[in-house]
Amino acid sequence: MEKPDPTVTTSKRRLPGWARGALWAVVAIGVLSTASYLTDMPILTSSDTSQTALRLGLPILLAAIGGLWAERAGVMNIGLEGMMILGTWGSAWGAYYGGVWVGLAAGILFGLLGGLLHAVAVVTFNVNHIVSGVAINLLGLGVAQYLATLVFEPISGNPRESPPVAKFDTYSATFLSDWLGALEDEQRVVLSDVAGLLRGLVTHVSPLAMIALLLVPASYFILWRTRFGLRLRSCGESPVAAESLGVNVYLHKYIAVAASGGFAGMGGASLVLLEGGADYLENQVNGRGYIGLAAMIFGNYRPSGLLGGAALFGYADGLQLSGGGAAVLALCYGAVLLLAIIVVLQLIRRHWWAAAGGVAGAAVLYWIYWTNDELPSDLIPYTPHFVTIIVLAVAAQRLRVPKAIGQQYRRGEDT
Amino acid sequence: MTEPEPVVELTGITKRFPGVVANSDVHLTVRAGEVHAVCGENGAGKSTLMKILYGMQQPDEGTISVGGEVVELRNPQDAIKAGIGMVHQHFMLADNLTVRENVLLGAEGLYGMGRKARAKLAELSDRTGLHVDPDTLVENLGVADRQRVEIVKVLFRGARIVILDEPTAVLVPQEVDALFETVRSMQADGYTFLFISHKLDEVRAIADEVTVIRRGTTVGTVDPKEVTSRQLAEMMVGSELPSPETRESTVTDRPVLRVSELRLDADDGDRSVLDDVSLTVRAGEIVGIAGVEGNGQTELVETVMGMRKASAGTVELASSGGELRDITRLGTLARREAGIGYIAEDRHRHGLLLRQPLWSNRILGYQTREPVSSGRLINPAAARQDTERVVEEYDVRTPGVEVLAGALSGGNQQKLIVGRELSGEPVLLIAAHPTRGVDVGAQALIWEQMRAARHNGLAVLLVSADLDELIGLSDTIRVMLRGRLVSEADPATVTPTELGSAMTGAGEEAA
Repeated sequence: MEKPDPTVTTSKRRLPGWARGALWAVVAIGVLSTASYLTDMPILTSSDTSQTALRLGLPILLAAIGGLWAERAGVMNIGLEGMMILGTWGSAWGAYYGGVWVGLAAGILFGLLGGLLHAVAVVTFNVNHIVSGVAINLLGLGVAQYLATLVFEPISGNPRESPPVAKFDTYSATFLSDWLGALEDEQRVVLSDVAGLLRGLVTHVSPLAMIALLLVPASYFILWRTRFGLRLRSCGESPVAAESLGVNVYLHKYIAVAASGGFAGMGGASLVLLEGGADYLENQVNGRGYIGLAAMIFGNYRPSGLLGGAALFGYADGLQLSGGGAAVLALCYGAVLLLAIIVVLQLIRRHWWAAAGGVAGAAVLYWIYWTNDELPSDLIPYTPHFVTIIVLAVAAQRLRVPKAIGQQYRRGEDT
Repeated sequence: MTEPEPVVELTGITKRFPGVVANSDVHLTVRAGEVHAVCGENGAGKSTLMKILYGMQQPDEGTISVGGEVVELRNPQDAIKAGIGMVHQHFMLADNLTVRENVLLGAEGLYGMGRKARAKLAELSDRTGLHVDPDTLVENLGVADRQRVEIVKVLFRGARIVILDEPTAVLVPQEVDALFETVRSMQADGYTFLFISHKLDEVRAIADEVTVIRRGTTVGTVDPKEVTSRQLAEMMVGSELPSPETRESTVTDRPVLRVSELRLDADDGDRSVLDDVSLTVRAGEIVGIAGVEGNGQTELVETVMGMRKASAGTVELASSGGELRDITRLGTLARREAGIGYIAEDRHRHGLLLRQPLWSNRILGYQTREPVSSGRLINPAAARQDTERVVEEYDVRTPGVEVLAGALSGGNQQKLIVGRELSGEPVLLIAAHPTRGVDVGAQALIWEQMRAARHNGLAVLLVSADLDELIGLSDTIRVMLRGRLVSEADPATVTPTELGSAMTGAGEEAA
């Protein structure tokens, strides 16, 4: 006991993050291609689906990155939704008058202002984080409606909608895309599925998508590899210890929450400025801020994890949009396969209860798949929301939450 | 060996808090490369003194000089710059960050974040005997390793003088030995240590010099090799006897509490914090438990209260009819309803809700009983009324019962608690440090109330670090050491010095 064996600590260590991510990606592709083959639903892995998934996953990804920054600094940011709404209005306004890049900047700026407001409330005035977040959600919605009536109605004639705005150009890696397209059309098992999914990711990609995807490794680098990031995270883990070591907790929380709002605003902009998306439209955010937060939590408060979470929700959303009820049923089938794998893993680890739960879940999903030919069309658009609930319920069990999250902190007060 | 230069000199340090003098005219001289122990009882002013030296508090009078120069330490950063580092008793670590991150935090500028910092960390880890992967989360470390991380943290910032505040309080004996080994090897490397403790055997084992503090002032500095633990204990507690008291015995032969062969295993399961504890408290009797803090008194109290679950043994309490009833399996509320009143040792953690008014604090623990509750619903009006009675009878100085408990002074808070606990017509009162941190007036009142209750047949189990209090109040004193009741003393004849020796286990060797 007094001499801890160094080998014990090393053997307990898991695979490095990138290896785990790659492993999960392989499992996901395997499950999808098996499901698409067995259910005869090629749409599960078509390039259309993955392209839509990328477009729909972006706002969620950006909101999740925003959530990551705030929550790592110990501030719960349930106001992401409101900040995204501000971002949608801001980007439509900016893009109408100054083009896409101005639109993007305005979206970020509006989100950032929402974030600053949250920071003032939570850090300076010690308002409960949830209360402030909810207030910002209501405020964001109201402000956007008010501004839309004021600015957009005279132009578009509709207070709920902006005039058409400029969209980002998209770029394709033509050669790669064509080659993958050919491969996809050959309909070979697995190979065509992988080709289809990849093709969607290299065809008609906007600069915004590239920026957003780069933000994932960038966030990792800043938060985990720099002095600023270490200090920011220490505020979320133990502000008292951080302060005792000379870290300005207030300042770091302010920066984190403002950045969080900026990312959320960017997420809002990605709803407006992408090809195939609507212009500013009332209620277009529709809970994506919350889903982003859920994706981040599902991703265990880590950049790689939230990328997976955003991909999952984007995929579910893209699938229901491009494939409808039948495709969602096929997804149920895929989920059954995935659960089967998880059950086997849990049995190997001798986690009997988890395995039993997995079996029960798989049985229910399979029953849904078996007894229905078509899901009620009213429910289909909510597929990502269902996925959120289920995934969170399963994932909530072994999360490593920043320790001081949601706590009020006043300088100089002990714990 | 010639006398080395003094590196730290405190001269005439005085620190007053509202109503209390924490330190008065303290002198302390620490020489380079020595392990200098500062010992004294709880509340003697050791912690305040160290906080002053670490810049967390400013002295009202007196000077601090480090390395021959007078310095002003306004905050911990100043102290660190002067080469003083402190390892707090309660660790200042972020569990969810890795060892390396914890060490680097706030000192990233010294060696950067990269290879140089890693090398420095590895060197310091080696020096302090921290054999863990720097990328492990602190959460996964044991207490001893966390302590070493704290030491590394301090050294990383360039400290040459390390304050260890009660470093052994959280360690098991083997870990203490390992820590001492580390301290000795670092001493050989030229580090200076200030070692805060009240455990005399440890002080004698590690220190080159010992400065004793009593009641806020330095009593003297001695060489631990030339004095016995008994003499040290005498310096710590002083030798004056408590004020004589009318000691007509009210002890009856009716047992109220009987604890038999009680054992409690530590949370990590590999040792017992209570072992084979048996005692009986009779009606009208005050049984005092003496012991150096951390020897199982807290655990004994909490096990009798049902806050911890006994691993073995039984607890029996007299019911109203007088016969003993086994309450080992009952929960805390049921035990309170069975007639136990409880003055908790930490009134802020256990006794009160600081952000609630006095009257709702009156309800705490009585939420199922008259007069403040009908059993299902609480009765705020009656609670207010009864709180006013308590305020009146126990002289709680407050503008009214709507005041938040946190707004009262420690003494008045304690009087409220004593009043509350004596209001439920208890058959047994468990009083853990009932007068800790309260002023003299409140102390006298609390003692008076406890004597009166004893006179009316109340059984009292008293745990205290104040030996005068123990001797003055108790009818029987049992001494607790390492989780066992080791000896018994008669308060009529025992002196605080003798008791102090018995508490530290020094009696055996020095006798």
